[in-house]
Amino acid sequence: MKPLENRWYPYALLAPAFLVLVVVSLVPFLFAMYLSFHQVNFGRIGDFAGWSNYSRLLDNERTWNSLWVAVKFILIAFPLQFILGLGGALLLNKRVWGRSVILPLLFIPTMMAPIVVGLVWKVMFAGSWGLLSYNIVERFGLLPGTSVFSSPDYALIALALVDVWQWTPFMMLAFFAGLQALPVSPYRAAAVDGATPMQMFFRLTLPLMAPLMVVIGMLRFIDAFKVFDTIYTLTAGGPGTSTEVPSLFAYRMSFEQWRIGESAAFAVLVWIGFFILCSLFYHVAKKKLNAF
Amino acid sequence: MNQPASHAPAVTAKPIKRISRQERVSVFWTLLLIVIAFIVLFPVLWVGSFMFRPDSAMFARPTEWLFEPTLVHFRYVIDNGFIGYLGTSFALASISTLLVIVLGTPAAYAFARFKLRFRDDLFLFVLATRMAPPICMVIPFYMIFSNMGLIDTYSGLTLAYLTFNLSFYIWVMSSFCKDLPVALEEVAILEGYNRFEVFLRVVLPLLRSAIVATGMLCFIFAWNEFMFAFMLGGQQVKTLPVAVPELITTQGVRWGPMAIVGTLSLVPVMLAVFLLQKHIVRGLTMGAVKG
Amino acid sequence: MTMHKAKSKAMLAGLIATATAFCYSAALQAQQWSYAEAAKPYAGTTIRVLDEITPLQETMRRLVPEFVEETGIQVEYELLSHGDVINRGQADLFSGRGHYDAIMLHGLQLGPLLAARVLQPIDGLKTNSTLTNPDLGLDDLIEPANESLVNHGGSQYGFLTWNYNQIYWARADLLNHPDEKAAFEARYGYPLAPAETMQQMRDIAEFFTRKSGEALAGETLRNDFYGIVLEGIPGGTTFTTVWEVFMNNWGGGVFDANGKPQLDAPENIAAVQFWADLWKFAPPGQAEYSLIDVPTVMGNGIAAQSIAFSDFVLGVDRPDGGTYAGQFVYGGIPANADLLDARSAGGEPSLMALSSHSKKPEATYLFMQWMVDKQTQAKLLEMGGGGVPIRRSSFDLDVMREAERQSLYKAMAASLEHVQAKPKTPNFFDIDNIMGPLVQQVGIGRLSAEDALKEGQRQVSSLCSSCLLTD
Repeated sequence: MKPLENRWYPYALLAPAFLVLVVVSLVPFLFAMYLSFHQVNFGRIGDFAGWSNYSRLLDNERTWNSLWVAVKFILIAFPLQFILGLGGALLLNKRVWGRSVILPLLFIPTMMAPIVVGLVWKVMFAGSWGLLSYNIVERFGLLPGTSVFSSPDYALIALALVDVWQWTPFMMLAFFAGLQALPVSPYRAAAVDGATPMQMFFRLTLPLMAPLMVVIGMLRFIDAFKVFDTIYTLTAGGPGTSTEVPSLFAYRMSFEQWRIGESAAFAVLVWIGFFILCSLFYHVAKKKLNAF
Repeated sequence: MNQPASHAPAVTAKPIKRISRQERVSVFWTLLLIVIAFIVLFPVLWVGSFMFRPDSAMFARPTEWLFEPTLVHFRYVIDNGFIGYLGTSFALASISTLLVIVLGTPAAYAFARFKLRFRDDLFLFVLATRMAPPICMVIPFYMIFSNMGLIDTYSGLTLAYLTFNLSFYIWVMSSFCKDLPVALEEVAILEGYNRFEVFLRVVLPLLRSAIVATGMLCFIFAWNEFMFAFMLGGQQVKTLPVAVPELITTQGVRWGPMAIVGTLSLVPVMLAVFLLQKHIVRGLTMGAVKG
Repeated sequence: MTMHKAKSKAMLAGLIATATAFCYSAALQAQQWSYAEAAKPYAGTTIRVLDEITPLQETMRRLVPEFVEETGIQVEYELLSHGDVINRGQADLFSGRGHYDAIMLHGLQLGPLLAARVLQPIDGLKTNSTLTNPDLGLDDLIEPANESLVNHGGSQYGFLTWNYNQIYWARADLLNHPDEKAAFEARYGYPLAPAETMQQMRDIAEFFTRKSGEALAGETLRNDFYGIVLEGIPGGTTFTTVWEVFMNNWGGGVFDANGKPQLDAPENIAAVQFWADLWKFAPPGQAEYSLIDVPTVMGNGIAAQSIAFSDFVLGVDRPDGGTYAGQFVYGGIPANADLLDARSAGGEPSLMALSSHSKKPEATYLFMQWMVDKQTQAKLLEMGGGGVPIRRSSFDLDVMREAERQSLYKAMAASLEHVQAKPKTPNFFDIDNIMGPLVQQVGIGRLSAEDALKEGQRQVSSLCSSCLLTD
């Protein structure tokens, strides 16, 4: 092995991708940062504005509301899709027939365009005329005087469940593949030692799957924050602002009010938040879970 | 299950086949999966029926479970040129996925195989490119693209899609690259191949399934993307998801054509997943799990 | 003597001749103005126009080739849905991209766009007699919609091109049913008829809200039925409906005479309270309904009354529009019986505006005129089988006098008498974004009208103390 060649070779492999990422992601983000520090009047870049965009953003209670809604949303949706995904993967891993047909079918919710997902669930649960609203909710008087997406108490939960419906197949597919790759020998040895299936699951399967779960989990966590289409279609942030997720909040700020400076500041703040969270988690996962 | 050998004359009763316990368990799990699939897909099936359902039968109360099929929605979809958007979506998603694969595979391999200085930082940088909410970035992109004349162009949208797909690809792929057998590479080097040849001839074939798997996911994300396609596209570059809001008209939502466009959007992807799934399953397998 | 006579005769003849020549040439000049003539220097150029997609514009799209043929100016006429035409149109204007020469704007957009100075006034073009059609007949445009829309700061920015308005909409079959009529009069003390006042609308709403199993127009209901359906989603035009149809009719409104926000004025509180009380008689999913859902719900026969945009109604109440098509009756926006002087109707007069980035203002101006031209408008309504007119004279067209549509057109005319463009405020979207969720919460019973409006006033005042666009 030629040590000299080794030094630049990996960087050469990285270079094209990084060049593109810098141009396509970093540059626009730096531009957004630039915008966040200036007065941007209806798209026209004006004077330097210091921290005023940030302070106006942080003074706005809708900002905090949207972040809180995101936290609630992720707390409901993420664990559910994680566990159901894992469960589904375990199920698929059993001896089943026709898996090659069932798998693509079960993957459909993830393959559908998010905007279509929103419309499908509107057909299901729209107040008064939704199929399941009419046949189940109203017939059994489950939500007197209101409908699923008009209910201040249940609208966010319903939206989170739609997200679970949409993304569980993704988790399931990823975890299923992980299960397929598990080496057989540790399990044989454990069986010889008299381990129960339960013990094998917790002591073998989970630790072996941990790196994959971390990678997929982090991705979904970041992406769940960005949910937009389904919310916009089903509740438009209502009732009140109880389902106004950050993307919807940012949408109104950018496209309706054209407060570009504040919207850019929002992007920067969210980015910083995620960067801190993910860095922390990355290093923890590296040490404790053997990921990365 | 073995049948007991029978030397008895033909008068004996027909031997009863006994289903093995394993098979019964398989039947159970399979049935369970089918039931789950049905429950999960029920909303999709119901809306799918709108393709053939006359408007009056869609939201009738009480629910009309049976109806007289009609083809009028298909007429509408064809007359209004929705089929053309299929081509645009396919072109855009394919080009951007290919680019992602070409750029991302070497990078993922580099992250997984080599000790790099600042490896963790660079790796987190890759993930960091997806951390800003895309919605906030659309207008800045619009402003930049507008100045560069990239709005409503394939090149513009391809560049924009690289933003979120490249990071996803590298992040997931590097996980798969971790379990590449180093020994094979070392052998090749000893045999005199240079580094690049090793990558092309030894590593890439091993990664084939992983590339298909992750590339497929990137394709799906590009195929279904709405916000960037809407704001940065236009009359020339109009993808299927962008065409969907056109069906929300003042006469209400045109659910029939909507169901057709939704299905149109789904079928190619489903077909691809079905055909490639062996690769996907095997591909996602490689290296993601240590041991 | 004869010479005198001859001279006079000659003079007279000369005078007559000159006069005739004068008249003739003047007539010739008037006849001579045509789009084709005026467009001669611009033939071959291409202009790009962005408009909203409703059946009206879809008909217009079929007429555009006539303009192209007549003038030689190529027109790329693009149609987008309500939200999209606002998003893309504003992005094009604000960013300076200038891909479109003319963009359809709703009145409510004018505040921000004028503040950003991205629209070109047409004053200069209007004084150009070569370019301006002398027969345009602008005083035929419906008022006060046109005036309030196109003028600002002494300049004019286009013409009233689309005259969206809201009307009162009710089920004629229910209102005319003898059993219902008898029961109503017995209960409320006056005859059942399409509501002319808000208070009547409320009584009718209450009267027709029934549970499954009860009788309605001689039949037993299989589902719950509701007396009224309105928009309730926190967004869309929910708040602007509350503003123009309720707050204004109660003598309130978002701004006072000086442009200061007065959201917590007692008149506004009373109006919002009245509106929220109507939710008792509305479908439980009303908090999800947008301006598009409301006509759908009416079309599905779920409610007895509504207030909706008339162009949407046209899409539902048509020959193949469903079970209830043809069963509707229309009226202008009901008045507030307690305040008959304050008549206001909801609407969204819209114009085709000239982008300040356009390099082809003259060609675009010709197209803008052509769109509102008497002949084009007549053809538009003819081809579309009726529609929402921008000209008073359009109501006299044959197609607008169709028997089945009379109720609808009379309602439009009644409504349009009181439709004004939204006050031009650069903060329109901010105000709408603040107030939409607040009033919705009053509707679903989570906030009192007073608390919601006080909160709204607090937030809006921190945005602007004097919100109207000055200039």
